[in-house]
Amino acid sequence: MAGITAERISVIYGKRRVLREVSLEVAAGKTLVLFGPSGAGKSVLLRAIAGLEPNTQGLVRIAGADVSALGPERRGVGVAFQNFALYPHFSAFDNIASPLRAQGVVAGEIGRRVEKIAALLKIGHVLNQFPRELSNGQRQRTALARALVGEPKALLLDDPLRNVDAKLRYEMRLELPRLLRGFGAAVIYVTQDFREAMALGDEVAILAGGELLQLGTPETIYATPNNVAVARLFGDPPMNLLAVETETRGGETVAAIAGFRFRFVASAEAAGKALLGIRPDALALVPAGTRGAAPMTILADTPLHDRHVLLVRAKDGNELVVSSRVPATSDEVWVKPDVALLFAQASGLHMATAVQERAMA
Amino acid sequence: MTLQLASVCKTYRRFGKPPVAAVKLLDLEVADGETMALLGSSGCGKTSSLRMIAGFEAVTSGAIKLKARRIDTLPPARRGVAMAFETYALYPPLTIAENIGFALAADRSARGSAASRVRQIADLLEITPILERRPAGLSGGEQQRASLARALIRNVDLHLLDEPMSQLEPQLRAVLRGRVKSLLRERGYTAVFVTHDQTEANALADRIAVMEGGVLQQCGTAEELRERPSNTFVATFFGEPPMNLLPAIAEPAVARLTGAPEIALPLAVPLALAEGQAIEIGIRPHRIQLGNFPLRGIVLSNQWLGDEAHIAVEFAGRTIVAVSPVRIAVRAGDAIGLGIDPASLHVFDRMSGCALAHGGMRA
Repeated sequence: MAGITAERISVIYGKRRVLREVSLEVAAGKTLVLFGPSGAGKSVLLRAIAGLEPNTQGLVRIAGADVSALGPERRGVGVAFQNFALYPHFSAFDNIASPLRAQGVVAGEIGRRVEKIAALLKIGHVLNQFPRELSNGQRQRTALARALVGEPKALLLDDPLRNVDAKLRYEMRLELPRLLRGFGAAVIYVTQDFREAMALGDEVAILAGGELLQLGTPETIYATPNNVAVARLFGDPPMNLLAVETETRGGETVAAIAGFRFRFVASAEAAGKALLGIRPDALALVPAGTRGAAPMTILADTPLHDRHVLLVRAKDGNELVVSSRVPATSDEVWVKPDVALLFAQASGLHMATAVQERAMA
Repeated sequence: MTLQLASVCKTYRRFGKPPVAAVKLLDLEVADGETMALLGSSGCGKTSSLRMIAGFEAVTSGAIKLKARRIDTLPPARRGVAMAFETYALYPPLTIAENIGFALAADRSARGSAASRVRQIADLLEITPILERRPAGLSGGEQQRASLARALIRNVDLHLLDEPMSQLEPQLRAVLRGRVKSLLRERGYTAVFVTHDQTEANALADRIAVMEGGVLQQCGTAEELRERPSNTFVATFFGEPPMNLLPAIAEPAVARLTGAPEIALPLAVPLALAEGQAIEIGIRPHRIQLGNFPLRGIVLSNQWLGDEAHIAVEFAGRTIVAVSPVRIAVRAGDAIGLGIDPASLHVFDRMSGCALAHGGMRA
């Protein structure tokens, strides 16, 4: 297929395997977000695909051709890094032109293409300046322009918005998808920011400890993380996870905690110790005594943008984070969940989703 | 007032270089039990201000009072403040427990209960498992929580926190923000913290002082900054997505959009604006309604973020952003109606950037 295919990529440093048989595919014109905590192996995977990681095992195809044995400059990939990695002694123009010069493109053609991409990224007016004279945002756009100017079939972006301020990050988050769509390249985009992953990814790959934990659309991963590690990582504020003792009887598994009672379709695996996951935005403030709700005490309200992020304590001492559009009107509130997930405590695997809940009588 | 800064200036003079005015005439009052954030981007003067309160920098001019006592001439240790440093500044040979309890060892009244107090604050910040370890080898997030614990365990007149949660693991952030905020309130602590992250300021502070270029731009609650920003800097710095701004020309009771002269937006209060005055019209993304309205724009993108949708729309020659609490089925290229209530409009002077009106109220 056109685009990027990585098959069973492993990277080993001495005795340490930093990447374990990761396989993924990105179609031309699509963006795959590589998401995970620091140390997960995201940048290593990107470097392996770019050909910058000498200890790589596995197969890399770009636009259908096996490039595993090729050097980075012959793979047809564009790369931008979070620290921008601009040549300090080159002007913005020469930085952007550098991949074209390496390919031996003629001078007139270089000028035309650099100016075109610079106009698209709104840095046409700073092409004669050196990196030290550019603002952080302009540096980041210059690095992006350099990655895009060769019109690569594969574009690898390593957390490119990490080092720019919040306002610029927001602007680029809006602008990037439109920009990338115009190029038709297959894009792999590394980030640790949940909202960036939601906004930019056609698909998201969750990486932790060098392993691919889940691959799917952002919506699927948010709604049904297949693993407690994914549930913990993907969301802001993250999913509440409570240790719970379940009981299985009469065709259902029941988890009672924090004043809630959840019923799951029974499975032998679900009996005993488990972790119950509830998204903060799946918890709502409701009138006192509402069926299925439980009373809680508010410890603090720590707003996030226009939402109220409430830290609440249940009668059994468990703490929960509630993300509400409306503020709480008193310190004692009633909270009602609308969906919950059950994870095996030992393996962390997702076992069941509660479809129905009842108040503890 | 617990803490008062009056006309505080900080000018750095280095031989052979022009002087740099890092903080200009800063007036700030922090009430007893209040948490104040100093918010701004790097170089705005927030950290210099914090260091002057702590005593690590001398004030160039002006006065700082804590509980009615002039402190700007006192050495740091005699000011009655506790500080958590952005660089953590933990003692490498001491365990985390010893680091946290260090200041209590000197405090006779605390001696008997020191161990239990260390344990209590460590539980709160989820560092109990690392209490017997030394700082080297701990993650940035763990060291930062230890540094925060060392400051919060002390019962002093003022807590100063420099980027207190910048390195925190995202999975712990929501819960720890809540616990720290609840602790500050429960103990009645007065605190000033510095951050470049508006989400942290919004989450933790009672009031936020926005700084830029060494100058205090506005000090108020998050709601005041959002609903009544004093100028276009604050309007576009605070809030995500930032406020949309559209250049316009004032006419009696309407604003004629520069990018689309056929559109005249009615203003809620007839302002005493000079006709023809260059203004900017501001509208917060959360206040734009989408649907069947006469004002039309073209959708550029529609991003679902898990709990709300951000829709970028080309309108009057600009890209504006609207936020919808629910998913809406529009795609790039679709035409869409924009509902803009005059009561949600902000008016700024285009030259100075200063606010003239917020909805129906004059600024």
